[in-house]
Formats: sequence, structure tokens, C-alpha cells
Amino acid sequence: MSRGSESEERLLIEAAQKDPGRFAELYEHHFHQVYAYIARRVSDRNEIQDLTAHVFQQALANLGKFKWRGAPFITWLYRIASNALSDQRKRRSREVSSDDLPNGESASEVDLEEIEQRAQLFKAVDALPEDQRRVIIMRFAEEKSIRDIASELERTEGAIKQLQFRGLENLRNRLAEKQAN
Amino acid sequence: MAERSIIDQLDDAVSAILAGRESDTAAIDQSVVELVAVAQQLRGLPRDEFKKHLKDTLVRSNEMSSPVMKPEPALPSLSVYLCFNNAAGAIEYYKEAFGAEELMRLAEPGGKIGHAEIKIGEAVILMSDEYPDYGAISPQTLGGSPMKLHLSVLDVDSFVAKAVSLGANLVRPIEDQSYGHRSGQITDPFGYTWIISTHQKDVPVDEMQKQFDDFVQKRATDETPASSKTSYRREGFHTVTPYLTVEQPAMLLEFTRKAFLATELGRTTGSPGGLHAETKIGDSMLMIGGGVGLEQRPTAIHLYVPDVDAAYQRSLEAGATSLFEPADQPYGERSGAVQDPTGNRWYIATPFVPLNEIAEGLRTITLYLHPIGAQGLIDFLRNAFGSEEVMRHQAPDGMILHAKMRIGDSIVELGESRGGSLPMPTAVYMYVEDVDALYERALKAGAVSVLPPTDQPYGDRNAWVKDPFDNIWYLATHLA
Repeated sequence: MSRGSESEERLLIEAAQKDPGRFAELYEHHFHQVYAYIARRVSDRNEIQDLTAHVFQQALANLGKFKWRGAPFITWLYRIASNALSDQRKRRSREVSSDDLPNGESASEVDLEEIEQRAQLFKAVDALPEDQRRVIIMRFAEEKSIRDIASELERTEGAIKQLQFRGLENLRNRLAEKQAN
Repeated sequence: MAERSIIDQLDDAVSAILAGRESDTAAIDQSVVELVAVAQQLRGLPRDEFKKHLKDTLVRSNEMSSPVMKPEPALPSLSVYLCFNNAAGAIEYYKEAFGAEELMRLAEPGGKIGHAEIKIGEAVILMSDEYPDYGAISPQTLGGSPMKLHLSVLDVDSFVAKAVSLGANLVRPIEDQSYGHRSGQITDPFGYTWIISTHQKDVPVDEMQKQFDDFVQKRATDETPASSKTSYRREGFHTVTPYLTVEQPAMLLEFTRKAFLATELGRTTGSPGGLHAETKIGDSMLMIGGGVGLEQRPTAIHLYVPDVDAAYQRSLEAGATSLFEPADQPYGERSGAVQDPTGNRWYIATPFVPLNEIAEGLRTITLYLHPIGAQGLIDFLRNAFGSEEVMRHQAPDGMILHAKMRIGDSIVELGESRGGSLPMPTAVYMYVEDVDALYERALKAGAVSVLPPTDQPYGDRNAWVKDPFDNIWYLATHLA
């Protein structure tokens, strides 16, 4: 994190500590990272959503206690997420056999790199040209078939597949650019 | 291979990924492999409506939270026990002003409270009415309390403004403190003093000790008159102090207290009769005087504050009339303007950069003059007081729209009288090193003598002159 964005983030946190109304900005900045962190450990969409909501509710409730010690705010959120995953795992272990449990909660450095990359990818979807963005969201977020998307958008299936192709190509290029930087 | 089939190959892979199946990478054209990897990562892409719904939920839960920090479930091991001569009134006050919650009360049939508990933030305060036989006596009966209460809040400025509007007295203005807090002190209507504070940043103890050492050092220097170059001024004063004379000075003092969180430093009788009072807003002193039947000199002030919107709102609540609402101005500040109930105009502003970056000597209270013939006043200030022009902004026809003049360590602003800004000749109390010499110089520059240099019983030697624009200058040298 650059010095400029670090001090910006710090100001934002201090503003939110004074005026919780400003928490929405922190949420916007970190949503995709938290979501990606949890999605790395949990595959069920409802569970990912519940845990993501839990992390931000905890963060909001405890924001007054957050003290800046030089580590970026996201590491604090990851810690809350890691605790939430671990709590869930403990609850599960009473309900099901331990063979079904996901592996350890805390993410390694390699994991974090992947998580950050995935969060960037999620964010990059919003920057796609509108028709590509709609198709990618309907396909991957809403998990619809090409046929359903085609009938909803009143286009041919070929055109939808074409947009999906262009969208994924665009996303790959954007990620490559980011990594080059 | 044709592009059409690449597109189909990619979709086959995407369908497999979404269904949770392994896609057969061996059968895929090399040019699509990278895209399949992207699709793999996109699995589980968050839904827009989930992201938005969660944000709405978080924002709503915020709106219901109290202005004081979140309470903890466990009670602290230490709580204060306060005594009041009107405990029921105190509970009402703390509820309204501090967001307190009443937990319980034991009351006599007549309402006298034997014991009550309220919660403010995470602290529980125990209290009762006066029971002298049991040693329970209130600060009002004793004439004060040596104990101060410290309250951490999320926004000290709005918290104090509300407490003051409901009857507390601001006894120390809100300031950023070297130890990382922004705080001020108020005395509530029942005689207890509260330090209200918002934590801004952590400061290491050794750094605090260093700042404290500097403070002790500075205080020792300030107390040694021989080493002080500013001993011709009274403590806390700069070169220029605006003197607002109005028919109802007490009303004006009340207004500055409520609207601008001014701290009144004392009242006495003025030289021509009526009232003389001194008050402080931010880093600046202000003199207020006058009375019924005395000359009135309502004045325009450029008031630099940390939050123009809050100050503007408080000034309206304190009885001012709006001249214009706060807005971002092209000249580098957010400002609004009001006229107070006694006729003074306040141009309230929050600049986009720190004040001393605009001009050294610019402070919370900056006098604003609207002469007819601004160039003439600039010439007079230069000739009479050795004033220096710091900046000017003028119209193509040469009309001076805005100028800043440095006098000693202060800045005075002025702009040609036009449109809504009529001339508002004012009075200025000005500390100078040698009142006698400056008096002579001012007369040579065209001022008229009102009072030749005279030793005053209040410890200043001063002379009064009137400039060609009808402003009165009280030139003064403090007698050590």
C-alpha cells in the first residue's frame, strides 16, 4: 500500500469512528476483499453471504476500538473473518464428523495474494462495458444459463456467448495490466 | 480453428465450472485456457443486490446507535456517585444533552430522589438528591466541585454544542490537544465540570512527556517579562482585536457563546459607561461593549472555524439571520454568512487549506472592513501603522474586491463597499510597542485625535484616533 493511500485510509477510518455514517465508504472499499476471503474457504453462496454480513456487522460495532498500528484496515477485517470461520468450524464440529470440515482458517501469504487478485477481478467486472458486464453478472453471480440470459436480454444465444467471451477476455487483460503495474 | 468454436469451447468450460464439474483442459484450445482460469475465479461472483442490501442494513443500524461510544455488557468496577440539589432535573438534562439512559430511581412521594442510576456510554453514574445528614451535598450548595468527569464521545464538537445549547457553560474551548485528543471543558447546569473528548490518534508517552516539557518551558518563558518581546500586549492578545459596540452587549455575548462556542473571560464597566467584556473564540480575542444610548458600531468579521456548516447552523439557532447559506467558494473556502441579533455580520468560513498557508497572522477572528474608497484605507493603514499589503484581488476596472493587510502580527481584510456590503465603520483595539509614537504617526497620516495618550486604570496607556473612514483605533501599550 502506498503512503498516500495509507493516509487516505487512515483518515477514512478516523472519520468513520467519529461519524458512523461514514462506515459505508469503508464498506465500499473492502467489500470485495472480505467476500473473496470467505469465498476462498466456503463454497455455498448463502454461507458466504451470511459470513460476509457478520464480518461487517462486527467491524461496525467494534470500529471505536480499532487502533491504527500501521497495518492496513483490511488485515483487521481478515482477522474478524478468520475468527468467524473458525467459530463456524467449531460449531460444525459438534454437528458433523470432522472429515467434512474445511482446512485451517488463517490464510497463508500465497492465499492472500490469490484473494486480493480475486477481489480485483470482482471489482473489475463493474468496469466492463455495460452489455458485457450484464452477461458476466447474470452468468456468474446469478448463475443463469446462456438460453435464459438470451431470452431475458432478447438476443441470440450466439450473441450472449460472444459477449461472455469478450467480457472474460477484457477481464484477463485488465488483470494482466494490474499485475504488470 | 474458427473463432466461433473457440467461443463455444469457452462456454462449455464455463458451464462445467458453474455446475461444479472439472472442465477438461486438455480438450480446450490453448488460446482459451487463460479465459477458463478467469472464469474459474469468477465462480461465486457476489450479487449486486446482496452488496447493496448489506450496505443498507449497516447504514440503518448506524442511525440507531447513540452518539456516545458503544456500551460494553460488563459494568465497570468503579462508578462515580454524584449529588444534586435537583437530581430529577439532572437526569432529564443528561438524557437530553448526553444521550443518557435512566436505569432506575428510588424516589420519595414528593419526587426527591434517594438513589438513581443512569448510563452514559459505557459508564454507570449513581446519584441522589441532597441529604446533608448523610454527607450528600451538591456542588451548588458547596459552590463548586473539585472533581472533573471525563467523557469520551465520537464527535466532541457536536456533543458540546448540544450540551451548551441546553444550558452548560463552555469553560475551555474545544481544541486539538498534543496528546492525541480533541477536547473541551464544560460545566453543566448542576455545577459538575466535564472534559469532553474525542480520541484522534495514539501518542507515545515519551512524546507526550516531551510536549509537556516544552509547555512547562514555554510557560516559564512567558512568565518572565524581561525575556518577553510581547510584554507591551496583555497575555493572549495579538496586535488587532476587533471591538464590537452594540446596544445590547449581553445579548451579543450570549450569541457568541452559543453560536461560536466563545469563552467569556470577564465583564466590567466601559470607559464611556455601559458594559466592557472580553471573550475568546478559537485563538482570538474579541472585545464587546456598549449599552443603551451609547454609540453603536456593528462590525463585519471573517470567522475561520473548523466546521462552517455546524457554526452556521448554531448561529441560526442562536437567533441570527442568514445572509447566505454555506457553499464551496471559488476563492478557496467553504463559507456562509449571518447577521447576529445585534447587527454584526459574520462571514463564517472553513478554508480548504490551513489558515497559516493562506497568510501568516490569519486567525479565527479576522476584522473585515468595507470602506468607500478601499485604496484610501489601504494607504492610510500603510502610512499610519506601517501596515503591509499581503494580497489583493481586484476587478478589471480597478475596484478592490478583497485585500489582506498585515498590521503587526495580525491580518485585517477589506473590500470595497458595494451591493449588500455597506460601510460598517468599526472600532479596533490595537496593541503597539510605543503608543505615543504611533499616535503622532496616525495624526500625520490623516487621523483625528479623540484622546491623546493617557495612562488608564486598567493597566494600559492608550490613545484614541479616528481614521478618515470613521473607524476608531484604540492604540494601546500595556504597562508592565
